[in-house]
Amino acid sequence: MTRHTTMDKTRLAAFVDGELSPEEAAAVVIHLADHPEDQAWVDDLAAANAALARAYSAPMHEPVPPAIRDTILPPASPGTGAAGAAPVLPFRRRVLASARAGWSAAAVAALAAAAAGVALLAPVAPVPGPGAGATATLAVGAVAEGTPLAAALSGLRSGEARTLDGGQTLTVLATMPVAGGHCREVEIDDAAAGVLGRALACTRGAGWTVTVAISEVAATPDAEGVFAPAGGGAAADLGPWLDRMGAGLALGAADEAAAIARGWR
Amino acid sequence: MTDPAPDAFRRDLVTLVPRLRRFALSLAGNRQDADDLVQAACEKALKNAAQFVPGTRMDSWMYRIVQTLWLDDRRRRAVRGTAVEPETAGLSDEGRAASLPEDRLMLARVRAAMAELPEAQRAVLALVAIEGLSYREAAETLEVPVGTVMSRLSRAREALLPKLGLSHGARQ
Repeated sequence: MTRHTTMDKTRLAAFVDGELSPEEAAAVVIHLADHPEDQAWVDDLAAANAALARAYSAPMHEPVPPAIRDTILPPASPGTGAAGAAPVLPFRRRVLASARAGWSAAAVAALAAAAAGVALLAPVAPVPGPGAGATATLAVGAVAEGTPLAAALSGLRSGEARTLDGGQTLTVLATMPVAGGHCREVEIDDAAAGVLGRALACTRGAGWTVTVAISEVAATPDAEGVFAPAGGGAAADLGPWLDRMGAGLALGAADEAAAIARGWR
Repeated sequence: MTDPAPDAFRRDLVTLVPRLRRFALSLAGNRQDADDLVQAACEKALKNAAQFVPGTRMDSWMYRIVQTLWLDDRRRRAVRGTAVEPETAGLSDEGRAASLPEDRLMLARVRAAMAELPEAQRAVLALVAIEGLSYREAAETLEVPVGTVMSRLSRAREALLPKLGLSHGARQ
């Protein structure tokens, strides 16, 4: 039971809830000035209202979950996870064109078809930086929780990019299911250092591990005297590693969004 | 076949989702059940879109759908108690930011106390104290008289306030 009040609690509650007319509210204010026990109850009620609002406020600061949004506004573009929407190119996976401007899907296709023509250079020595794994060559191994890299791997959709601590741009290219989890193919572009990296990061739902990382000197189409990959296009093809892991077809947008929403579990 | 849910309806519905998730969270007590509830409510709303009268309060209409589905679910599952998550869950920062221990304790007490309220009182308290509806708006949403709203509110607060460490005698 709450404390005793002189004025009827229904009226005091209506006052706190903003239900009284200005005249009625003024009368309550005058009453409260002379009745501290009633003022204390009003204060308690206001505190309870505030605590209630705070206790459940989280959804107000969050974006609409993808599953709910897609239910209300179904994505209209064709080939998003629909069965039978086969990619035009006969790849096992749907690979986005390299994030690097100017390199077309055709160049990627040519490169993948002529894998022998790719010049794989030795990985560039990692540049020390504040965030773990934030180098053009991703360090192979576990990705520390809470780093920008971990957040990017967990949250980005295919095609989205984020700048990491060292100024490199990370772009997620595709998500593939593998036995027990998922692998995401990413591209790391360190324009300042002129290095392009490509990597696979995999998860079973509890953190990410970079399983393979390759980086190479980034060729610009009109650079001279720069050792350029034969296809003149994007970075290395990670097909052999995906084969080894038994990777399946790249996830469509809806399935990928669902995996992101459930934290890759 | 005409789509029963036109684009404008769908866009308005999306803008309501944060509030519906908050209302559902106050009823269900945990994030997963709350979002399942909102998902089901949106599916039902889209199916019954033709019954919504354009120009009327879509928020009241949706709150009612959420509350009805929740009651149906409670009865079907014969749930004795509500699954309440640990106190850090439900805070947008998962409780990691500098919030005082006494604040976190208060929020935990609030959630536990809400879970103990009878459904009818919990729904009224949520609509008025959290969603900010007036007594009359809450009455229309729940399709009950205003007097019923006021008495349920009063009983809810009589039960809730002592559990929050408030109203335990003189406070000065």
